[in-house]
Amino acid sequence: MAPEDMQVVLDVPDLLARLENDRELLVELSEILKTEYPTHLRSLEQAVSGEDMKTVERTGHALKGMFAALSAARAASAASQLEQIGRKGDKLALRNALTILESEAAALLIELDRCLEAAKNEDSHR
Amino acid sequence: MKILIADDEAVSRHLLEKTLTRAGYEVIAVENGVLAAEQLSRPDGPRLALLDWVMPELLGPDVCRHVRQRRDQPYVYMVLLTSKESKQDVVAGLESGADDYLIKPFDPDELKARLRTGLRILQLEDKLVEAREGMRFKATHDPLTSLLNRGVIMDLISKELVRAQREKSSITVLLGDLDHFKQVNDTYGHPIGDEVLRETARRLLASVRSYDLVGRYGGEEFLMVLNSCGAINAFARAEQIREAISKLPVQTARGALPVTMSLGVLPTGESGPRSLEDILAEVDVALYAAKMAGRNCSKLADAKCSV
Repeated sequence: MAPEDMQVVLDVPDLLARLENDRELLVELSEILKTEYPTHLRSLEQAVSGEDMKTVERTGHALKGMFAALSAARAASAASQLEQIGRKGDKLALRNALTILESEAAALLIELDRCLEAAKNEDSHR
Repeated sequence: MKILIADDEAVSRHLLEKTLTRAGYEVIAVENGVLAAEQLSRPDGPRLALLDWVMPELLGPDVCRHVRQRRDQPYVYMVLLTSKESKQDVVAGLESGADDYLIKPFDPDELKARLRTGLRILQLEDKLVEAREGMRFKATHDPLTSLLNRGVIMDLISKELVRAQREKSSITVLLGDLDHFKQVNDTYGHPIGDEVLRETARRLLASVRSYDLVGRYGGEEFLMVLNSCGAINAFARAEQIREAISKLPVQTARGALPVTMSLGVLPTGESGPRSLEDILAEVDVALYAAKMAGRNCSKLADAKCSV
Protein backbone atom coordinates (compact mmCIF):
# COMPACT_ATOMS: atom_id res chain seq x y z
CA MET A 1 0.00 0.00 0.00
CA ALA A 2 1.44 3.39 -0.99
CA PRO A 3 1.76 5.98 1.83
CA GLU A 4 -0.95 8.17 0.27
CA ASP A 5 -3.41 5.27 0.47
CA MET A 6 -3.05 5.41 4.27
CA GLN A 7 -4.03 9.07 4.31
CA VAL A 8 -7.56 10.41 4.66
CA VAL A 9 -9.04 12.54 1.91
CA LEU A 10 -9.65 15.42 4.27
CA ASP A 11 -8.15 15.53 7.75
CA VAL A 12 -10.91 17.55 9.39
CA PRO A 13 -9.47 17.78 12.94
CA ASP A 14 -6.12 18.95 11.53
CA LEU A 15 -7.83 21.45 9.24
CA LEU A 16 -10.01 22.91 11.98
CA ALA A 17 -7.02 23.18 14.27
CA ARG A 18 -5.06 25.09 11.63
CA LEU A 19 -8.11 27.31 11.00
CA GLU A 20 -8.31 27.89 14.75
CA ASN A 21 -11.85 26.46 14.61
CA ASP A 22 -13.04 29.30 12.42
CA ARG A 23 -16.00 27.70 10.57
CA GLU A 24 -16.62 30.87 8.58
CA LEU A 25 -13.08 30.68 7.29
CA LEU A 26 -13.66 27.07 6.32
CA VAL A 27 -16.58 28.18 4.15
CA GLU A 28 -14.50 30.97 2.59
CA LEU A 29 -11.59 28.64 1.78
CA SER A 30 -13.96 26.07 0.24
CA GLU A 31 -15.40 28.75 -1.98
CA ILE A 32 -11.93 29.83 -3.08
CA LEU A 33 -11.03 26.22 -3.83
CA LYS A 34 -14.18 25.75 -5.90
CA THR A 35 -13.38 28.89 -7.90
CA GLU A 36 -9.67 28.27 -8.32
CA TYR A 37 -9.49 24.53 -8.87
CA PRO A 38 -11.37 24.41 -12.22
CA THR A 39 -9.06 27.11 -13.60
CA HIS A 40 -5.98 25.21 -12.53
CA LEU A 41 -7.43 21.96 -13.84
CA ARG A 42 -8.10 23.47 -17.28
CA SER A 43 -4.57 24.81 -17.34
CA LEU A 44 -3.23 21.38 -16.39
CA GLU A 45 -5.30 19.57 -19.01
CA GLN A 46 -4.03 21.91 -21.70
CA ALA A 47 -0.47 21.56 -20.48
CA VAL A 48 -0.72 17.76 -20.43
CA SER A 49 -2.18 17.73 -23.95
CA GLY A 50 0.54 20.04 -25.20
CA GLU A 51 3.23 18.35 -23.08
CA ASP A 52 4.06 21.75 -21.63
CA MET A 53 6.15 20.47 -18.75
CA LYS A 54 6.89 23.90 -17.25
CA THR A 55 3.18 24.63 -16.83
CA VAL A 56 2.61 21.13 -15.44
CA GLU A 57 5.30 21.73 -12.85
CA ARG A 58 4.04 25.22 -11.94
CA THR A 59 0.35 24.28 -11.75
CA GLY A 60 1.14 21.07 -9.90
CA HIS A 61 3.05 23.15 -7.36
CA ALA A 62 0.19 25.64 -6.93
CA LEU A 63 -2.37 22.84 -6.46
CA LYS A 64 -0.10 21.06 -3.99
CA GLY A 65 -0.03 24.20 -1.83
CA MET A 66 -3.76 24.70 -2.12
CA PHE A 67 -4.63 21.12 -1.14
CA ALA A 68 -2.03 21.01 1.62
CA ALA A 69 -3.46 24.21 3.11
CA LEU A 70 -6.79 22.38 3.34
CA SER A 71 -5.26 19.31 5.03
CA ALA A 72 -6.07 17.25 1.95
CA ALA A 73 -2.95 15.09 1.93
CA ARG A 74 -4.01 12.65 -0.82
CA ALA A 75 -4.87 15.40 -3.30
CA ALA A 76 -1.72 17.31 -2.30
CA SER A 77 0.33 14.20 -2.91
CA ALA A 78 -1.26 13.71 -6.36
CA ALA A 79 -0.49 17.36 -7.23
CA SER A 80 3.06 16.93 -5.96
CA GLN A 81 3.41 13.90 -8.24
CA LEU A 82 2.45 16.05 -11.23
CA GLU A 83 4.86 18.77 -10.15
CA GLN A 84 7.72 16.27 -10.05
CA ILE A 85 6.75 14.74 -13.38
CA GLY A 86 6.77 18.24 -14.88
CA ARG A 87 10.17 18.97 -13.37
CA LYS A 88 11.66 15.68 -14.61
CA GLY A 89 10.00 15.97 -18.01
CA ASP A 90 8.55 12.48 -17.68
CA LYS A 91 5.93 12.77 -20.43
CA LEU A 92 4.84 9.13 -20.28
CA ALA A 93 3.60 9.49 -16.71
CA LEU A 94 1.56 12.63 -17.36
CA ARG A 95 -1.88 11.23 -18.23
CA ASN A 96 -2.02 8.73 -15.40
CA ALA A 97 -0.93 11.36 -12.85
CA LEU A 98 -3.59 13.77 -14.09
CA THR A 99 -6.29 11.11 -13.76
CA ILE A 100 -5.21 10.40 -10.18
CA LEU A 101 -5.26 14.10 -9.38
CA GLU A 102 -8.75 14.54 -10.82
CA SER A 103 -10.01 11.60 -8.84
CA GLU A 104 -8.45 12.80 -5.56
CA ALA A 105 -9.70 16.34 -6.08
CA ALA A 106 -13.23 15.09 -6.80
CA ALA A 107 -13.14 13.06 -3.59
CA LEU A 108 -11.91 16.09 -1.70
CA LEU A 109 -14.70 18.32 -2.99
CA ILE A 110 -17.29 15.75 -1.86
CA GLU A 111 -15.62 15.39 1.53
CA LEU A 112 -15.40 19.14 1.93
CA ASP A 113 -19.13 19.56 1.22
CA ARG A 114 -19.85 16.83 3.76
CA CYS A 115 -17.68 18.63 6.30
CA LEU A 116 -19.42 21.96 5.65
CA GLU A 117 -22.82 20.33 5.98
CA ALA A 118 -21.82 18.74 9.29
CA ALA A 119 -20.49 22.07 10.55
CA LYS A 120 -23.75 23.75 9.56
CA ASN A 121 -25.82 21.12 11.39
CA GLU A 122 -23.61 21.40 14.43
CA ASP A 123 -24.12 25.18 14.45
CA SER A 124 -27.90 24.87 14.10
CA HIS A 125 -28.04 22.49 17.09
CA ARG A 126 -26.22 24.92 19.35
CA MET B 1 2.27 46.14 13.06
CA LYS B 2 2.14 45.90 9.27
CA ILE B 3 2.96 42.56 7.71
CA LEU B 4 3.30 41.63 4.07
CA ILE B 5 2.02 38.32 2.77
CA ALA B 6 3.17 37.33 -0.70
CA ASP B 7 1.68 34.13 -2.06
CA ASP B 8 0.31 33.42 -5.53
CA GLU B 9 -1.91 30.64 -4.25
CA ALA B 10 -5.30 32.03 -3.18
CA VAL B 11 -6.26 29.53 -0.46
CA SER B 12 -2.97 29.84 1.43
CA ARG B 13 -2.98 33.61 1.02
CA HIS B 14 -6.48 33.97 2.42
CA LEU B 15 -5.72 31.57 5.27
CA LEU B 16 -2.59 33.54 6.19
CA GLU B 17 -4.44 36.82 5.93
CA LYS B 18 -7.20 35.67 8.27
CA THR B 19 -4.82 34.07 10.78
CA LEU B 20 -2.63 37.14 11.01
CA THR B 21 -5.48 39.66 11.06
CA ARG B 22 -6.94 37.72 13.98
CA ALA B 23 -3.53 37.91 15.66
CA GLY B 24 -3.66 41.71 15.45
CA TYR B 25 -1.45 42.38 12.42
CA GLU B 26 -2.25 44.91 9.72
CA VAL B 27 -2.02 42.65 6.69
CA ILE B 28 -1.01 43.63 3.17
CA ALA B 29 -1.48 40.68 0.81
CA VAL B 30 0.00 40.47 -2.68
CA GLU B 31 0.14 37.69 -5.23
CA ASN B 32 3.57 37.93 -6.79
CA GLY B 33 7.19 38.71 -6.03
CA VAL B 34 7.37 41.99 -7.92
CA LEU B 35 4.49 43.46 -5.92
CA ALA B 36 6.14 42.15 -2.75
CA ALA B 37 9.46 43.85 -3.56
CA GLU B 38 7.58 47.04 -4.39
CA GLN B 39 5.72 47.03 -1.06
CA LEU B 40 8.89 46.34 0.91
CA SER B 41 10.76 49.16 -0.84
CA ARG B 42 8.28 51.82 0.28
CA PRO B 43 9.56 54.14 3.02
CA ASP B 44 6.54 53.29 5.17
CA GLY B 45 6.35 49.71 3.95
CA PRO B 46 5.90 46.66 6.19
CA ARG B 47 8.91 45.52 8.23
CA LEU B 48 7.65 41.96 8.58
CA ALA B 49 7.16 39.77 5.55
CA LEU B 50 5.99 36.25 4.81
CA LEU B 51 7.12 35.30 1.34
CA ASP B 52 6.16 32.22 -0.58
CA TRP B 53 9.20 30.63 -2.23
CA VAL B 54 7.70 29.90 -5.64
CA MET B 55 5.91 32.93 -7.05
CA PRO B 56 5.42 34.32 -10.53
CA GLU B 57 7.63 37.22 -11.70
CA LEU B 58 10.07 37.04 -8.78
CA LEU B 59 10.82 34.13 -6.45
CA GLY B 60 10.73 34.58 -2.68
CA PRO B 61 14.55 34.36 -2.35
CA ASP B 62 14.90 36.97 -5.11
CA VAL B 63 12.64 39.31 -3.15
CA CYS B 64 14.89 38.76 -0.11
CA ARG B 65 18.00 39.59 -2.15
CA HIS B 66 16.33 42.72 -3.55
CA VAL B 67 15.39 43.95 -0.07
CA ARG B 68 18.84 43.24 1.39
CA GLN B 69 20.51 45.31 -1.34
CA ARG B 70 18.84 48.47 -0.05
CA ARG B 71 20.85 50.76 2.16
CA ASP B 72 19.75 53.21 4.85
CA GLN B 73 16.30 51.75 5.22
CA PRO B 74 14.89 50.04 8.31
CA TYR B 75 15.51 46.31 8.62
CA VAL B 76 12.81 44.02 7.22
CA TYR B 77 12.35 40.64 8.90
CA MET B 78 11.52 38.12 6.20
CA VAL B 79 10.22 34.59 6.56
CA LEU B 80 10.15 32.27 3.56
CA LEU B 81 7.14 29.98 3.29
CA THR B 82 8.01 26.84 1.46
CA SER B 83 7.08 23.27 0.78
CA LYS B 84 10.76 22.69 0.10
CA GLU B 85 12.34 20.84 2.97
CA SER B 86 15.81 19.79 1.85
CA LYS B 87 18.84 21.18 3.66
CA GLN B 88 20.06 22.68 0.41
CA ASP B 89 16.82 24.59 -0.03
CA VAL B 90 16.90 25.87 3.54
CA VAL B 91 20.50 27.03 3.13
CA ALA B 92 19.71 28.70 -0.21
CA GLY B 93 16.71 30.46 1.31
CA LEU B 94 18.64 31.79 4.28
CA GLU B 95 21.61 32.75 2.10
CA SER B 96 19.27 34.91 0.01
CA GLY B 97 18.70 37.10 3.05
CA ALA B 98 15.67 35.48 4.67
CA ASP B 99 15.69 35.46 8.46
CA ASP B 100 13.65 32.31 8.87
CA TYR B 101 11.59 29.81 6.96
CA LEU B 102 8.39 27.88 7.58
CA ILE B 103 7.32 24.66 5.96
CA LYS B 104 3.84 24.69 4.41
CA PRO B 105 1.18 23.94 5.48
CA PHE B 106 1.91 26.08 8.51
CA ASP B 107 0.75 25.59 12.07
CA PRO B 108 -0.86 28.86 13.28
CA ASP B 109 0.77 28.77 16.72
CA GLU B 110 4.22 28.14 15.26
CA LEU B 111 3.69 30.90 12.67
CA LYS B 112 2.73 33.42 15.34
CA ALA B 113 5.60 32.40 17.61
CA ARG B 114 8.11 32.82 14.78
CA LEU B 115 6.68 36.23 13.95
CA ARG B 116 7.00 37.24 17.58
CA THR B 117 10.69 36.37 17.25
CA GLY B 118 10.79 38.68 14.26
CA LEU B 119 9.13 41.44 16.24
CA ARG B 120 11.74 41.06 18.99
CA ILE B 121 14.52 41.40 16.43
CA LEU B 122 12.89 44.52 14.97
CA GLN B 123 12.45 46.04 18.43
CA LEU B 124 16.11 45.33 19.14
CA GLU B 125 17.07 47.02 15.87
CA ASP B 126 14.94 50.04 16.74
CA LYS B 127 16.68 50.31 20.11
CA LEU B 128 20.10 50.08 18.46
CA VAL B 129 19.22 52.75 15.92
CA GLU B 130 17.86 54.96 18.69
CA ALA B 131 21.03 54.47 20.73
CA ARG B 132 23.22 55.22 17.70
CA GLU B 133 21.23 58.37 16.95
CA GLY B 134 21.53 59.36 20.61
CA MET B 135 25.30 58.92 20.49
CA ARG B 136 25.50 60.79 17.21
CA PHE B 137 23.56 63.67 18.75
CA LYS B 138 25.81 63.70 21.82
CA ALA B 139 28.89 63.72 19.63
CA THR B 140 27.69 66.66 17.57
CA HIS B 141 25.76 68.82 20.02
CA ASP B 142 26.52 70.87 23.08
CA PRO B 143 25.12 69.04 26.12
CA LEU B 144 23.87 72.19 27.89
CA THR B 145 22.13 74.02 25.06
CA SER B 146 21.64 71.18 22.53
CA LEU B 147 23.04 73.52 19.87
CA LEU B 148 25.71 72.25 17.47
CA ASN B 149 29.01 72.01 19.30
CA ARG B 150 32.10 74.01 18.42
CA GLY B 151 33.74 71.35 16.25
CA VAL B 152 30.62 70.69 14.22
CA ILE B 153 29.62 74.32 13.65
CA MET B 154 33.15 75.13 12.47
CA ASP B 155 33.17 72.14 10.19
CA LEU B 156 29.79 73.14 8.75
CA ILE B 157 30.90 76.74 8.23
CA SER B 158 33.88 75.45 6.22
CA LYS B 159 31.53 73.41 4.06
CA GLU B 160 29.09 76.29 3.62
CA LEU B 161 31.97 78.56 2.57
CA VAL B 162 33.02 76.10 -0.12
CA ARG B 163 29.43 75.71 -1.27
CA ALA B 164 28.84 79.47 -1.36
CA GLN B 165 32.01 79.99 -3.43
CA ARG B 166 31.02 77.23 -5.82
CA GLU B 167 27.51 78.62 -6.24
CA LYS B 168 28.74 82.23 -6.26
CA SER B 169 26.38 83.07 -3.42
CA SER B 170 26.98 84.67 -0.06
CA ILE B 171 26.60 83.53 3.51
CA THR B 172 26.76 85.58 6.67
CA VAL B 173 28.69 84.49 9.73
CA LEU B 174 27.58 85.92 13.07
CA LEU B 175 29.47 85.72 16.32
CA GLY B 176 27.30 86.65 19.31
CA ASP B 177 28.36 87.08 22.89
CA LEU B 178 26.06 87.57 25.88
CA ASP B 179 26.81 90.86 27.60
CA HIS B 180 28.01 90.79 31.21
CA PHE B 181 27.35 87.08 31.47
CA LYS B 182 30.10 86.65 34.05
CA GLN B 183 28.05 88.83 36.39
CA VAL B 184 25.07 86.48 36.03
CA ASN B 185 27.20 83.52 37.07
CA ASP B 186 28.91 85.46 39.87
CA THR B 187 25.69 86.94 41.24
CA TYR B 188 23.18 84.12 40.83
CA GLY B 189 25.38 81.04 40.45
CA HIS B 190 26.13 78.73 37.56
CA PRO B 191 22.77 76.92 37.51
CA ILE B 192 21.06 80.25 36.77
CA GLY B 193 23.76 81.02 34.20
CA ASP B 194 22.95 77.69 32.59
CA GLU B 195 19.27 78.62 32.45
CA VAL B 196 20.18 81.83 30.67
CA LEU B 197 22.35 79.97 28.16
CA ARG B 198 19.61 77.44 27.43
CA GLU B 199 17.01 80.16 26.90
CA THR B 200 19.44 82.13 24.72
CA ALA B 201 19.96 79.01 22.58
CA ARG B 202 16.21 78.55 22.27
CA ARG B 203 15.72 82.19 21.20
CA LEU B 204 18.55 81.99 18.68
CA LEU B 205 17.11 78.86 17.09
CA ALA B 206 13.66 80.42 16.99
CA SER B 207 14.96 83.52 15.24
CA VAL B 208 16.79 81.82 12.34
CA ARG B 209 15.48 79.84 9.39
CA SER B 210 15.46 76.05 9.29
CA TYR B 211 18.43 76.00 6.90
CA ASP B 212 20.58 78.38 8.98
CA LEU B 213 23.04 77.01 11.54
CA VAL B 214 23.51 77.85 15.20
CA GLY B 215 26.29 76.50 17.41
CA ARG B 216 27.84 77.14 20.79
CA TYR B 217 31.33 78.47 20.12
CA GLY B 218 32.49 78.76 23.73
CA GLY B 219 31.16 79.75 27.20
CA GLU B 220 28.65 82.47 26.30
CA GLU B 221 29.64 82.82 22.63
CA PHE B 222 27.44 81.61 19.80
CA LEU B 223 28.36 81.14 16.18
CA MET B 224 25.70 81.37 13.49
CA VAL B 225 25.58 80.94 9.74
CA LEU B 226 22.85 82.59 7.72
CA ASN B 227 22.74 80.84 4.38
CA SER B 228 22.00 82.76 1.18
CA CYS B 229 22.28 86.00 3.11
CA GLY B 230 24.43 88.68 1.51
CA ALA B 231 25.74 92.03 2.66
CA ILE B 232 22.46 93.85 1.99
CA ASN B 233 20.45 91.86 4.52
CA ALA B 234 23.18 90.73 6.90
CA PHE B 235 23.06 93.63 9.31
CA ALA B 236 19.26 93.74 9.48
CA ARG B 237 19.13 89.99 10.16
CA ALA B 238 21.75 90.34 12.91
CA GLU B 239 19.72 93.11 14.51
CA GLN B 240 16.57 90.96 14.42
CA ILE B 241 18.45 88.22 16.23
CA ARG B 242 19.87 90.64 18.77
CA GLU B 243 16.37 91.99 19.45
CA ALA B 244 15.01 88.47 19.82
CA ILE B 245 17.53 87.94 22.62
CA SER B 246 17.01 91.23 24.44
CA LYS B 247 13.28 91.80 23.91
CA LEU B 248 12.15 89.93 27.02
CA PRO B 249 14.04 89.15 30.23
CA VAL B 250 14.88 85.50 30.80
CA GLN B 251 12.70 83.85 33.44
CA THR B 252 14.94 81.97 35.86
CA ALA B 253 14.54 80.33 39.25
CA ARG B 254 15.94 83.53 40.73
CA GLY B 255 13.55 85.80 38.84
CA ALA B 256 13.53 87.58 35.49
CA LEU B 257 16.96 88.60 34.25
CA PRO B 258 17.54 91.11 31.44
CA VAL B 259 19.85 89.67 28.79
CA THR B 260 21.52 91.37 25.85
CA MET B 261 23.89 90.21 23.14
CA SER B 262 26.61 91.88 21.08
CA LEU B 263 27.19 90.58 17.58
CA GLY B 264 29.95 90.62 15.02
CA VAL B 265 28.57 90.31 11.49
CA LEU B 266 30.49 89.05 8.48
CA PRO B 267 28.84 88.63 5.08
CA THR B 268 31.31 86.61 3.02
CA GLY B 269 30.32 88.25 -0.25
CA GLU B 270 31.88 86.98 -3.46
CA SER B 271 35.38 87.96 -2.51
CA GLY B 272 36.99 84.67 -3.43
CA PRO B 273 38.25 81.91 -1.14
CA ARG B 274 38.96 82.79 2.47
CA SER B 275 40.01 80.48 5.25
CA LEU B 276 37.79 79.70 8.19
CA GLU B 277 40.48 81.06 10.48
CA ASP B 278 40.48 84.41 8.65
CA ILE B 279 36.71 84.63 8.81
CA LEU B 280 36.59 83.83 12.52
CA ALA B 281 39.31 86.39 13.19
CA GLU B 282 37.43 89.07 11.22
CA VAL B 283 34.08 88.41 12.85
CA ASP B 284 35.77 88.38 16.26
CA VAL B 285 37.17 91.86 15.57
CA ALA B 286 33.64 92.99 14.67
CA LEU B 287 32.29 91.52 17.89
CA TYR B 288 34.99 93.33 19.83
CA ALA B 289 33.94 96.54 18.09
CA ALA B 290 30.33 95.95 19.19
CA LYS B 291 31.49 95.49 22.78
CA MET B 292 33.56 98.66 22.58
CA ALA B 293 30.55 100.51 21.17
CA GLY B 294 28.65 99.92 24.40
CA ARG B 295 27.36 96.34 23.91
CA ASN B 296 23.84 95.23 22.91
CA CYS B 297 24.54 96.13 19.27
CA SER B 298 25.73 94.59 16.01
CA LYS B 299 28.84 95.58 14.05
CA LEU B 300 29.72 94.64 10.52
CA ALA B 301 33.19 93.21 10.00
CA ASP B 302 33.88 95.49 7.07
CA ALA B 303 34.76 98.85 8.68
CA LYS B 304 33.33 100.75 5.71
CA CYS B 305 29.93 99.19 6.37
CA SER B 306 29.92 99.61 10.14
CA VAL B 307 26.78 100.94 11.75
